[in-house]
Amino acid sequence: MKATKLIHEKDTMTSEQRLQAVINLQVPDRVPVSHRIYYFAAKYAGVDNADLYDAATWNSAIDKCFRDLGPWDLYAPWNFYHVEVLSLIFPMKVLEPGIGLPRDAIHQYLEEEIMPFEDYQWIMKMAKQIPDLSFLRLVMRWLPKIWGHVQPGIRGYAYMMPRLLDHLITWRRDFMRWSKEGVIPLAGAGVEAAFDSFSMARGLVNFSRDLKKHPDLIAGAADAMTAGNLYLITSAARILGVKRAAIALHRSSNDFISPDTFRKLSLPSLKDLVERLKAQGRPSVLHCDGNWDLNFEALRELPAGCAVVELDGTSDIFKAKEIIGDRMCIAGDVPADLLALGSTTEVDEYCHRLIEEVGKGGGFILSSGCEVAPNAKPENVKTMMESVVKYGYYNR
Amino acid sequence: MSDSIAGFISDVDEDGALAEVRKALDAGADPLGLVEALRAGMSTVGNRFEAREYFLPDLILSAEIFNQSVALIEPHLKGTGGPSKGSVVIGTVQGDVHDIGKNIVATMLRCAGYEVRDLGIDVAPGSFVDTAKETGASLVALSGLLTVAFDSMKDTVAAFVEAGTRDSVKIIIGGGPVNETVLEYCGADAYGKDPSEAVALAERFLA
Repeated sequence: MKATKLIHEKDTMTSEQRLQAVINLQVPDRVPVSHRIYYFAAKYAGVDNADLYDAATWNSAIDKCFRDLGPWDLYAPWNFYHVEVLSLIFPMKVLEPGIGLPRDAIHQYLEEEIMPFEDYQWIMKMAKQIPDLSFLRLVMRWLPKIWGHVQPGIRGYAYMMPRLLDHLITWRRDFMRWSKEGVIPLAGAGVEAAFDSFSMARGLVNFSRDLKKHPDLIAGAADAMTAGNLYLITSAARILGVKRAAIALHRSSNDFISPDTFRKLSLPSLKDLVERLKAQGRPSVLHCDGNWDLNFEALRELPAGCAVVELDGTSDIFKAKEIIGDRMCIAGDVPADLLALGSTTEVDEYCHRLIEEVGKGGGFILSSGCEVAPNAKPENVKTMMESVVKYGYYNR
Repeated sequence: MSDSIAGFISDVDEDGALAEVRKALDAGADPLGLVEALRAGMSTVGNRFEAREYFLPDLILSAEIFNQSVALIEPHLKGTGGPSKGSVVIGTVQGDVHDIGKNIVATMLRCAGYEVRDLGIDVAPGSFVDTAKETGASLVALSGLLTVAFDSMKDTVAAFVEAGTRDSVKIIIGGGPVNETVLEYCGADAYGKDPSEAVALAERFLA
């Protein structure tokens, strides 16, 4: 699928060309703008969050945002058409709008043990036997602990596989629909990085103990999962038709772990996955929630020109530009609180600064810091989108 | 023995600390002295966290060690665990069920000698007001991880105003997205970006 339509009148590149340029650390025609909108769309369109699992409702809500507050070049797909598919990526018990929470609430994770301690050893053994299928085997072992209606064994697979396939096919349809508007997804298939996945599935208290007492088991199991993560990404990417892969790192920031722990236990398997994706011509989009200031130096170990680092407003994005700006594209980071509580002038000023400083010399995507808060002011979202037209052209 | 308990906790050595507490209790050590040793160890952990030598897992695990040790010591304590430096009411605000950060702050406050009433998660504004009145607490700590928690924090502050007790409490807020802007929005008195700052705020407001 090709997005050939130009987004703005003065544009000389398509969204695809612009994104390729910034990933390659080159200067595009202008700074691209992306976002991660989900619950905000429901509030803006006046529907319940619980209804967003319905494709027609979701598309109608996001279309309204695009018409009123856009356009945008890119978007980080963040909508799920089956609640259990989200749990394949985030192995945690979860309360969902309409399932344990009011229909207009946002989902919330519970820190309960999904992964027993014995699973570290089990993973290493299992991944040796079925490396490519290790991701699927592992998540299908955990899923019945998250959702009581998903049964263990073959019945669980029979329940999940059609839903996973339906989710992927519906995303592909969405991507094709957006391509007519000139818009492309920042990434298609994705996984939670192995280290982070264990942190979520073990629960923070257990995982804190594991870090202290059994770091070798964490590292060993994380290394063992690379082939399975790669296989899932490449299989899903074939259906989605998007080469760029998302790797979420929700528990590797310095809000959770030390830079030393990141370098020793999280980075090796991440690096392995990014390098293997690169070998297949697939750029990685690293979703780096939390404060990564002390990890930036270590990120230089990843291959240059093949990754986007998404920051959420907690890290110092200006420092990121200094330390890793010559190695990887940076995306971010209009903070959730600024979009929710700030004025349009404040949003405009911050976006201007990002474009001037982080966008200097290319390699930058202006984006919301993680998800646009459901209570963000619509005029602030619009201001963010418009700032790339106002300030973002490189040959002014 | 107290020194070694403090040392084990400050090194976040769970097995060592618990073994040492058991040994001390078997040897008939003063339980209050043991609690003091635990507090001293936790204080070192807090200092190392502030200096960025320690990170969240160290805080979580040391809080676990503290709570497990106190559970061992408690049956030997006659009366309270020592004089209280003041009462604090803490909870995760309405609409938010995240409690890891709130639990760490509660433990750190207990370690620092405060009497803590933990209301748990998804706490309605009125519960904070009623509990502060009931306990006579002059510090209320509101936790929240979600951006939608901003409104609940604001509502909770407003509930104290409505009840006419706003001037008798200091309200502090904390949690992932909380910052100066959120503080201004909610009308609380201060915010802490980590558990150490929460303890420092308690020291400031309950001095």
